[in-house]
Amino acid sequence: MSEQANDKPVLVIPCSGIGKVHGLISREATYLVADEMAPKETDTLCLALLVKRDPEAVDAVKTQHCITIDGCPKACAEKNVEMAGGHAAKAVQVTEAFKKHRGAKPGTATDLTEDGWAIARDVAQEVVDEASRLWRERKVQR
Amino acid sequence: MSAELTKVGIVSCSGEAIPEGTVSRLATRRVLELLRPDKTVTICLPLFLAGNEGERNFAKTHPTITVDGCPKQCARWGTEQNSGPVSGALVISEILGTAASGCSRSLRGASQSDKEAVWTVAEHIAAEVDRVLAETAPVSSDELKDGAECACSAPVPGGKVTIQGAPVTIPGLQLIFQQCLERLIPADDSGSPAVLDAVKIYHRILQEEEPEYSTALLKAYGEFCRERKSGE
Repeated sequence: MSEQANDKPVLVIPCSGIGKVHGLISREATYLVADEMAPKETDTLCLALLVKRDPEAVDAVKTQHCITIDGCPKACAEKNVEMAGGHAAKAVQVTEAFKKHRGAKPGTATDLTEDGWAIARDVAQEVVDEASRLWRERKVQR
Repeated sequence: MSAELTKVGIVSCSGEAIPEGTVSRLATRRVLELLRPDKTVTICLPLFLAGNEGERNFAKTHPTITVDGCPKQCARWGTEQNSGPVSGALVISEILGTAASGCSRSLRGASQSDKEAVWTVAEHIAAEVDRVLAETAPVSSDELKDGAECACSAPVPGGKVTIQGAPVTIPGLQLIFQQCLERLIPADDSGSPAVLDAVKIYHRILQEEEPEYSTALLKAYGEFCRERKSGE
């Protein structure tokens, strides 16, 4: 990662998959991180901009640290970041978080239950931990 | 080879950075689940790059409408570059104008203005689906077989009312009732015309059937409200 990354927030990029609750969890976990848990250290970016190959978005994923959150094994967020020339410092899978919530009824592709929000918070915490680690590394490098 | 109804593909930008992206995602789901459940399918936009050939062929096998949050039109251009030409392209900022400024990115911050924005955009998408279908010839079942579609876009279950002694299924009736409840429509005679009007948007009711539908829907809406109240 270039030195430019030192001054910029970590980009949290979810898949936002439209078919299942997993996509919604990836999306809401991103907002928990970027809006509440680590608003100064992180930001998000429209994944669709990478599909369009928007020059600014492509430049952002090349020059900033990225954490991707994917709802299914197709890993659209991680793959699109890599295809744009970036690298995911951590690729979080929502399905992994489900393992700690066996029997949970998380909701639908449009709404989350309490179970769904609990899973989203777990995913968000994992992202915040990684973002904090990346920021600590930057300080050491300085 | 039998001719079958062509399904219209809807591709939402779902842009994470702006509230309009959330509206695009939710309005698209609303059309898939409630407004045009048997006529529409969807696919995740990023699959055009990350997926397989079948997924990339989505816009070649379905007449496709894109729903974008902002004038950058990522869904439109991403679909056209990576999958195929689109039959319609909607931009939420053009539909809602400044009304989108009161919307939230996260469901946690969703207010009445978010809900109204989703309904407004969903109705625009449904109208665009109707336009595209009217201009599109039916395709054969063999052609449909190879097309990609999201397995999760199955319609929501319908609610049943009894009309002229026979059960009638109304797709998404619970969601329609939920919308009525949120609009504070009372579950008594004074609210009956509003409930009927709401259902008529999504379900064809002949004029001569209206009195019977009014009675049946008011009864069902009353039960829905009581269940919601007892569940609180």
